Amino acid sequence: MQKSLLEQVVDRISTLNPLHSKKVKRNLKKMDEAYFRRADAFLNRYNSLLGNEGKDLEYGIDCYLKMIADVNFESVQFAQTGEYTSKSFDEVNARVYSDPEVMEYYMHGLVMSQFLWVHHYDILLHFNDVITRSKKNIKRYLEVGGGHGLYISEAISIIGSGAIYDLVDISKSSIEIARKMISNDTVNYNLLDVFEYFPASKYDFITMGEVLEHVEDPVRLLKKLHSLVNDEGKVYVTTPTNAPAIDHIYLFKNADDIRNVIKEAGFSIEEERCIYAEDVTPEFAEQYKISMMFAGVLVKAK
Amino acid sequence: MDRSQILEKLNDIFRDVLDNDTITMAEETTANDVEEWDSLNHIQLVVAIEKEFKLRFTSKEIQGWAKIGDLVSSIASKSVK
Repeated sequence: MQKSLLEQVVDRISTLNPLHSKKVKRNLKKMDEAYFRRADAFLNRYNSLLGNEGKDLEYGIDCYLKMIADVNFESVQFAQTGEYTSKSFDEVNARVYSDPEVMEYYMHGLVMSQFLWVHHYDILLHFNDVITRSKKNIKRYLEVGGGHGLYISEAISIIGSGAIYDLVDISKSSIEIARKMISNDTVNYNLLDVFEYFPASKYDFITMGEVLEHVEDPVRLLKKLHSLVNDEGKVYVTTPTNAPAIDHIYLFKNADDIRNVIKEAGFSIEEERCIYAEDVTPEFAEQYKISMMFAGVLVKAK
Repeated sequence: MDRSQILEKLNDIFRDVLDNDTITMAEETTANDVEEWDSLNHIQLVVAIEKEFKLRFTSKEIQGWAKIGDLVSSIASKSVK
C-alpha cells in the first residue's frame, strides 16, 4: 500500500534530521484518527499547491528543515542570552521579509509546522471550538496576518458562505500562499499593513494568529484590532512565550506578560488556552524557558 | 587537545545534560544510539559544549552532526591548539 503523505514526510525527516524526527514521531504517537484525517487532507492540498509550482513534497520538507535549523540556532542564542536576536522591525525586515529566498523557505516551513507541531494542532482545535460556539453571531470575519490561510479556511468551513471574509496581510508571499491554499473564492485579500486598513464596517470576529511577537509594540496592534471589532464582537489571538525565531522581536516571558498587554489595549480575556511546545513538566519548562503557546478569546473590556 | 580528549569531555557533557551516567560516546555514535538525545536536549547540549570548549557553532553545524566523530571534528577545527 502506498504510504500517506504524512508518512512520507516523517520518513524524509528521519533520513535528513534524525534528532528532529524523534520529536515528530513522539508527537504523532499521541494523535487520534481525526488528526491523521485532517493532516492528510491538509497535506494533499499543500501537495497540489507545490505541484502547480513544479515542486514536490520533498521541497516542502527541505524548507521545513531549513526553518528548524534557524529555530535551533536562535534557540542556542536565546539559551545563552535570554533575548531574541532581533530587536526591531527594520532588522527583521532586512533579514527576512525583504529577502525572497528566506521568505520562500520560511513560509513553506511554517505550513508544514501546522501539523507536525503538536501545540499548533492543539490551538487549531481550540480555534475550531471557539468558532463553532460563536458562529451564529459572525456575519463579518477578519483575519490579520493570514499566513498560509489554514485558519480562515477552517472558519469558512464552520461558519459557511453567509458571512463576509476579509484577510489583511503585510506580506505578498503570505497572500500568495493563502490564495492557493484557500479553496474558496469568497475571501477578500488586502495586501497592506493593518494600520493602513480602514474598512467601512466593523467586524464580529477577528483572528490574529502569531503576529504579536513580530511587532515592536503589541499594545498598539491590539488597540488597532479594538478599533476594528464590534462592541459585542470577539478577537481570537495567539502568540508564544520564549519562542526564538529569525523574525520574532517582542519577547513575552510568560503568560502574564501577554495578559498584561491584552488588558492594556482595552480587552478582557473571555477564555484562554496555554500549551507548551514540548512535552515537559511545568518545572522543566520554567527552568529551560520552553516555549508556550497562548490562545485567548478577547472581548472589549466594559 | 586531541580527538580522544575531546571525546572524553563530550562524554561528560552528554552524561550531565542527558542525566544518564551509563552513556558512552564513541566516534561512530549517532542520535539513534542514545535515546535521550532529541532535538530539545540537543539545544542544551550545544549550549554546554559551546561553553565548555569556548567556541561558537554555525547554524548548519547545530542542525545536527551525523555522528559524534563529526562533532569532534567540528570542535577540533575550532579549538585553540
